[in-house]
Amino acid sequence: MGDETKPGDAWDATQWHEVKPGETLWKIAEQYYGDGSLYTQIFEANKDTLDDPNKIKVGQKLRIP
Amino acid sequence: MKHLIRVLGVLIIAALVAACANQRVPAEAALKAADDALAPIKAEAAKYVPDQAKAVDDAIAAARDTFAKGDYAAALTAAQALPAKIDELKTALAAKKDQLMVAWKDMEGGLPKMVEAITSRMEILSKSKKLPKGLDKAAFDQAKVNYDSVKTLWSEATAAAGGGDLMAAIAKGTEAKTKATEILSALGMQPPAPPSPK
Repeated sequence: MGDETKPGDAWDATQWHEVKPGETLWKIAEQYYGDGSLYTQIFEANKDTLDDPNKIKVGQKLRIP
Repeated sequence: MKHLIRVLGVLIIAALVAACANQRVPAEAALKAADDALAPIKAEAAKYVPDQAKAVDDAIAAARDTFAKGDYAAALTAAQALPAKIDELKTALAAKKDQLMVAWKDMEGGLPKMVEAITSRMEILSKSKKLPKGLDKAAFDQAKVNYDSVKTLWSEATAAAGGGDLMAAIAKGTEAKTKATEILSALGMQPPAPPSPK
């Protein structure tokens, strides 16, 4: 899977995903949760950087709760 | 003349014996002082810095043995060296406790972050109609069991720390971290990255 963690904190297990071309929040939710309908979980966790769940950018780093 | 030499010899030997006997009281006092100085830290030192504690115990035992054999001067010399050794032991003990406290504070602030990430993912996966690739029901169920173990271990660790037993706290916390890392891996999550080299 594509989860990533940021270097430097030996305890921080926050998971990150870098958006690739063609991906949607639905697809990303399917990848991590097995269920695309749970995309709202990712949207809610990234509300500081996302205004619209349909607008994600390639290269954007999303927190995956 | 010969008689005078004999008398002088006897006098010298008597003086030496008397001098040695005179060391008995100060040697005994110095040994007692060493015991008294060691007593307040003896148990903690044996626990936290066992090698250094044993070296001091051995030095005291050797001085006592010398005293028991009647060599009071040597016993006094040995006993007079003990306070410095006990001071070194106190310093080593304090340093070890400081080191453990730093490690515990790091763990105390850190492990809950790992647990939080796991909790969040498990809650979401529990709502999922289908588990993601690489995670089957048996593995997810096992992760739930391990998650309960992590919470129990962490509760024991914090209780041990609260009781002042940092070694037990860190041992339990380390066990909890190992299990938490296993859960992360089972759920397809990345474990925390190692600290950046300085």
